[in-house]
Amino acid sequence: MKIYRFRALVLLAVFVSTLLAGCSAGAGTQKIDKPEKPLVILEWTGYEVTEYPQFFVPFSDKYGDNINDYVNVSVFGDDAEAFAKVQSGFKADVIHPCSSWWGLYVESGLVQPLDVSRIAEWENIPEAFREPGKFNGQYYFVPWDWYYEALLVRTDLVPEMPTSLADLWDPMYAGHVSLWDNGEVSFATAALAFGINPFNTSPEQDEFVKQKLIEIKPNLLTYWLDYTQAIELSASGDAWIVASAWQDTYSVLVDEGYEVTYLEPEEGYLAGVCGYGIGTNNTNLDLTYEFLNAAIDPHSMANFTNEYWYGAANFAANEFIDEGAAELLQLDDFENVLKNTRFYPPLTAERRDLLSDLWNEVKAAP
Amino acid sequence: MRDETSLSTHVSIKDGRGGIEKKLTGIPRKSQLALLVSPSVLWLIILLVLPLITMIGLSFQKSAFGPGSDVFTFASYLNFWQNSAYQSLLGKSLWISLVVAVMSIVLAYPVAYFLAFHAGDKQGMLLNIMIIPAWTSFLLRVLAWRLILGSNGLLNTFLMWLGVIQEPISGLFYSVNAVIITLVYIWIPFAALPIYVALLRIEPGLLEAASDLGAKPWQGFFKVTLPLSIPGVLAAFLYVFIPTVGEYVTPALVGGPNGLMIGNIIWDQFMRGLDWPMGATLSLVVMLIVLLPLIFMAKAAQQTGLFGGKSE
Repeated sequence: MKIYRFRALVLLAVFVSTLLAGCSAGAGTQKIDKPEKPLVILEWTGYEVTEYPQFFVPFSDKYGDNINDYVNVSVFGDDAEAFAKVQSGFKADVIHPCSSWWGLYVESGLVQPLDVSRIAEWENIPEAFREPGKFNGQYYFVPWDWYYEALLVRTDLVPEMPTSLADLWDPMYAGHVSLWDNGEVSFATAALAFGINPFNTSPEQDEFVKQKLIEIKPNLLTYWLDYTQAIELSASGDAWIVASAWQDTYSVLVDEGYEVTYLEPEEGYLAGVCGYGIGTNNTNLDLTYEFLNAAIDPHSMANFTNEYWYGAANFAANEFIDEGAAELLQLDDFENVLKNTRFYPPLTAERRDLLSDLWNEVKAAP
Repeated sequence: MRDETSLSTHVSIKDGRGGIEKKLTGIPRKSQLALLVSPSVLWLIILLVLPLITMIGLSFQKSAFGPGSDVFTFASYLNFWQNSAYQSLLGKSLWISLVVAVMSIVLAYPVAYFLAFHAGDKQGMLLNIMIIPAWTSFLLRVLAWRLILGSNGLLNTFLMWLGVIQEPISGLFYSVNAVIITLVYIWIPFAALPIYVALLRIEPGLLEAASDLGAKPWQGFFKVTLPLSIPGVLAAFLYVFIPTVGEYVTPALVGGPNGLMIGNIIWDQFMRGLDWPMGATLSLVVMLIVLLPLIFMAKAAQQTGLFGGKSE
């Protein structure tokens, strides 16, 4: 009997090892078969070069039909998801995170420095976007898209228009405010509302903001998770004010004829910029820079802005941007806007952990 | 001499049995068994045991990635121990699951009773009708409640039409109550099934005997039917209670700011907080807390023969 059990175990072990061997062998041969392997791009959903060639015009024009031989796109829906994927071994050649995560990529050695001389439009990208990607004197990220976080207000439902972030705590809006289910962003929103610089706080201030985030609960309808939910909450009339809303949310609601406004709070906008970084193990740099130059091309960027109403990091694109989008982004008055806008700076791993824990404790609080 | 014969008969018997099996399949009996169970064993090892071991290991790491991943620490457990917010949320989640389990059973019992004793020929059809909603997407069934409880939903419209309220009540949908209502609705069919099976097994003669001995119908129910259906009720309780404790989709969709459960925090620790050790710790704590009463219940049931383990 013991012998049979032993035999079964051996069988099992053999089975498992063949399985594992099969997997690794498969991965191995692929590399050998394709000497010029496609660029692995880790990209936000809704931005894929294979689905949206108009955002990468020169590149998609050149490689058109054979694009799948040159790029291989994987998508993500959340910065944390992308970071976890790359951290746990996914070999991405090009990655598209947003600025607050840039530092973590550099710190963890997941991206290599840029050769900015190879990016034709580099000088057309405002410094405000380039600087957050600079570490130890070197640039690591090509800024591409940028956005504001503002108050999305149903003008037909609110008893009085809010003017500031602090108004979110006004009992007048009880049960009709929705915050984003995101610790970093909701912390910044609350800190700014109470006159605290969100990016440089003392432990006492952290605790204060946490209490404020717990205090706002009676005013909250629910936390929104993604932009489709934000749209739905506002459209149904349940959420009078959606905080930290992006331009694309607003553009959809306007298109559907809802009475909404995209309100810049008195405290100023919070804003973010996202951009492309090059993976540490990427050796196919010629194709990579060709892709990056195509992405940052003024026409590509204008197509992108006109579709989603997000900002284009390349300001040479501005002349091709539709009037509506330009007005929303306040492009004609951009210098002034910048003075009153706070871009999310790169966070350290410790700070990110702290904010994540703080947010979970806020949500867990009775 | 005596020994030799006994040995030889023994051998011949064994040979005989083995011979038949060998003729049929050529594989010894024990190996046949091993072959039969090996797919499910493999499945369990790869998808349950190994991940569980990984989780336990993870819960003692300082961080999931980078240099911290080699550091052994109790920090996550300590963090949970010192964190009253997580503890109270865990308590709340257990409470919600308990309420959901009890309400599902209370609502499912009459359904199961009717099916077992009064449905007659239509039993099969009615059973299917009860289960059909469970075939629709879980998400769809959760969101269907928005149509009922939402601020422009059926309930509000109806109350406004009656003139009971002037303005729609908007807190109905995003609340703990909404979570409970939705979960009870989802779990009623699953609670009804084991109770129905338990009721089916009751010998009709027992009830006749009870009434022959002068028991009124309600006495018959409380003295015969209910005690005999307890195994089904317990099974239903576990069916509902255990998966509900870790629930995160429903609270995320309908819970609002105060209706979140521990599952939401675990999800967040893994997916966005990147604090996998803390997520693993919370998962294991939940698992332990659910497991202990389960083991206790199973032991008690076995001793009293509730699950029919001991026949009398």
